[in-house]
Amino acid sequence: MTRSRRKALTAVLAYLVVISSLIYFILPMLWIVYTSFRTQASIFTGRVISPLNEYTLVNYATILSVTDFPAYFQNSIVIAAAVTLSSLFVSITAAYGLSRFDIKGKNALIVGIFATQMFPQVLLIIPMYLVIFSLSLLDKVIGVVLGQLILVLPFQVWMLKGYFDNIPTELDEAARIDGCGIPQRLLYVILPVAAPGIMVAAFFSFVVSWGDYLIVSIISQSQRTATITLVMQRLSASLLVRWGDLAAVTVLTIVPTIILFSFVQNRLVEGLTAGAVREE
Amino acid sequence: MFPTCPIFIQVGSAASGRKRILVMAERQKGLFLVLPAVIIMGVFTVYPLLNSLWMAFTDNNLLGSSVEFVGLDNFARLLSDDVFWLSLYHSIVLTVVVVLLQFGLGLILAWAMQQKLPGMGAFKSIIMASWVIPVAATVTMFKFMAQPDVGFINIVLRTIGFQDANIYWFGNRAAAFPFIMLLHLWRNVPFYGIAFLAAMQAIPRSYYEAAEIDGADAWSKFVHITLPGIRSMIIVMVTIHVLWTFNNFDFVYLSTGGGPVNASDVLPVYVYRQSWDRYDLGYAASIGAVMLILLMIYFVVYMRLYERRETTP
Repeated sequence: MTRSRRKALTAVLAYLVVISSLIYFILPMLWIVYTSFRTQASIFTGRVISPLNEYTLVNYATILSVTDFPAYFQNSIVIAAAVTLSSLFVSITAAYGLSRFDIKGKNALIVGIFATQMFPQVLLIIPMYLVIFSLSLLDKVIGVVLGQLILVLPFQVWMLKGYFDNIPTELDEAARIDGCGIPQRLLYVILPVAAPGIMVAAFFSFVVSWGDYLIVSIISQSQRTATITLVMQRLSASLLVRWGDLAAVTVLTIVPTIILFSFVQNRLVEGLTAGAVREE
Repeated sequence: MFPTCPIFIQVGSAASGRKRILVMAERQKGLFLVLPAVIIMGVFTVYPLLNSLWMAFTDNNLLGSSVEFVGLDNFARLLSDDVFWLSLYHSIVLTVVVVLLQFGLGLILAWAMQQKLPGMGAFKSIIMASWVIPVAATVTMFKFMAQPDVGFINIVLRTIGFQDANIYWFGNRAAAFPFIMLLHLWRNVPFYGIAFLAAMQAIPRSYYEAAEIDGADAWSKFVHITLPGIRSMIIVMVTIHVLWTFNNFDFVYLSTGGGPVNASDVLPVYVYRQSWDRYDLGYAASIGAVMLILLMIYFVVYMRLYERRETTP
């Protein structure tokens, strides 16, 4: 085979992969967006294309004004924001400590943190429910936040430690010699350099909290703490699903994650796998 | 809140004699940095783990009044529980099939994205979207597409000639489990692809050029340069996904709940149903303990193989 023919064949095969990927990975998202703008009647015709007058915003109007969706959406935002901020504080300090300080039993701690990834979460939530119950935090936002922290922290600490390990120690060493305490070093030396990694860590915890069903389903007992994932599940499990409304709920649930994703997409994999890949 | 650093940082200004003393003095402070994480994970991860392992030996039931130590009764009950064995089988099949397919498809995707072709940049930037959206949303999307009458899959099947196609795919005993595998693939294959691509791009071009001079074909370059070059990324991706897939609860629970008639039951979902539908915490904990033991066996075997590979060149 000549060189140019091989090149052409490569391009054809690569585009084949691209097109099938778009159909499989992207089309389902476009389909639900499309569905959210159709009337209930139009969806039930079972046809792909409808007359123009059957496209509508009524699904969005319904879920925003008639249902309690805005309250659940707000709960999700509050919980995900709280999980993101608190997990960042905890994991940045822990990762910095593990990366830079000579702590007794450090290696055991690092292995231990990673090993918690092995624990089945469905096993952990049984006693966790009892802990949160005895702290009187059932059906409280803070109870949900504490529960979700365990989903986020191990991976986040591991990832940020990898990120910090790749920052030259000379940087904070120099700052220390010149009289900067630990908080200043962390704030003014490490954080600016590690900002891309921290953005990915923040994104990771937001997305995990936003998408969590397991923890919310056992700690939330009422509308006070119910999140959109719970509502989506309830809606789609009901006997007569109103697909137009549900599609609108799904779209509004996806949109915040996609917006945040667009900020970090170039850094995402680099950040997520920083704990694994050492630049040495 | 904090005073700004009084200085510009000068790299390499550290005096090594002073350094050692200061490190000793700061060791205590390092401990404080780790403390919040240790406390939270202690209270909400380590304690629950130990507590649930103990619970596996009791008849703890949220509906019952007293908790008795029952020894190995729960584990004896497991042995004759058909749903447990079926769920175990499904969990293992799911993990093996899904991780292998993700690995293979991820490699293909990475290969395609590595080609310098028009539009590839845009493709790379959108393809990981499936990984970031909530699993509940993914499940809703696929449930809708799998509907009879109005579902996209059946519409397409009818259009291309299968006039009778009108089943609810998640409600079909033969189709439900493969469909759950498709959901796992949908979420994770792009992540594998992008991760492998990142690792491939870190391989020096000169390796390939040298191989080309020696007359290596595409396949042998792939086997002898690309695969070894992305080896550490493969190890990380496979390890975390074995754990995540085996422990995954929400895909099955949200899409089929384990049904129809246990056709897609996996261990995490069975644990959840035992604990939150039947409130049988002791029994649920014993199933969870079995899951943990299996993962630990996997981990030990894996580490052994990994170390042997490392030592024998």
